[in-house]
Amino acid sequence: MPPDRDPLPPPIVSLSDEDLMGRVAEDDERAFTELVRRFQGRVGNLISRVLNDRENTDDLAQEVFVRVFVHRRNYRRGSKFSTWVFTIAANLAKNEIRRRVRRRNWFSLDALTEVLSDSLPQLADPTENRERGLEREQLQGAVGRAIATVPEKYRLALVLRDIEGLAYEEIAEVLGLPGGTVRSRINRARGMLQRKLQPLLQKQDGS
Amino acid sequence: MNRCDQAGRLFGAYWDDEVTQAEREWLEAHLAGCPACRQQYEKLARTLETVGSLPRADVAADLPDRALAAARRATAVPDRIAAAPIRPVWIPVTAAAALLLLAASTLLPWIATNIGPGGPGALARRTAPVAEPRLVASAGPAAQDRTGAVHARPTLADSLFDHAEDVEFILDPVVLHRGRAQAPSRLPAGIQGEQAVISF
Repeated sequence: MPPDRDPLPPPIVSLSDEDLMGRVAEDDERAFTELVRRFQGRVGNLISRVLNDRENTDDLAQEVFVRVFVHRRNYRRGSKFSTWVFTIAANLAKNEIRRRVRRRNWFSLDALTEVLSDSLPQLADPTENRERGLEREQLQGAVGRAIATVPEKYRLALVLRDIEGLAYEEIAEVLGLPGGTVRSRINRARGMLQRKLQPLLQKQDGS
Repeated sequence: MNRCDQAGRLFGAYWDDEVTQAEREWLEAHLAGCPACRQQYEKLARTLETVGSLPRADVAADLPDRALAAARRATAVPDRIAAAPIRPVWIPVTAAAALLLLAASTLLPWIATNIGPGGPGALARRTAPVAEPRLVASAGPAAQDRTGAVHARPTLADSLFDHAEDVEFILDPVVLHRGRAQAPSRLPAGIQGEQAVISF
């Protein structure tokens, strides 16, 4: 009779995020690359929408995952990995916003005017007869810039909720805020965004 | 707060499907009868639909490999303590030691001579040779030899020590045990002497 053998380990793609992170904490590089593959889209999207900067999204997303690896032993087993990685991404995005504000190259007080002046003439110009797809692309660009003009503390909550679809409780954990504060911030952010986007949406409806 | 204000406060929770059943029924009933609130809610819904329909940002396909390479670099930072150049500390240490030696060789004889135990001159007295016991002539009756010559008879003095010199006593420590004293000798080997046992 052949000796008993240990059952084969489950394939890495079948492991949960939390089990993968447990392996990363033990220096398993394959588990790390699998986690990056799973979360690169969501992390990249969060950063891209919060910063409205697609050019540097790859570098900043990479930095998020480097921090995951460097701080892998700080991960609490049993806690949700997505919450942890979004916390790292949100902190990195906040720091990046503040760094850029200090340099005064980004997010100036005139940003909203810039959003509208960039988009409205093109969207309202009936003589250009642009393709519907192009028009939609312009609208999306304008919406992205409008989101970027919402103050940082409201913007992060808005992106986590209305773009990434996180639950209120998870957002509260990511941002380290009480649930009531998160709800209040999301409501205020939505109100600001609605006022900023209203002229664009009305023009689009009228075209 | 009027009914429209109350309705506006529920718009966000209604969009997120986080209202209670009673709130839902009340709000839907209000919206059905209030065109202004209905229009306001439609604006919000349109805004959030637009935000939610934004395309996902594309990230580089090789991000996992790039992130792994960067993570390896980030965790492979060399130990800066080992990398720091070792400063040649022997020069100040040697100089300090030489200064201490010089000071000690200069001051110690002076201290021993002038400030040591017993006051000035103590060292000199301690180092003075102890006079050997000697026979001294007694003032007793003289002896007469065969030739008839009279010689003074040598006699032992009262003490073997010359009292003209100071005498040092070595007090051996006394260890007390229940009612009697024991005084283990701690004198260096080769030195003969009596132990003093002191009872209290």
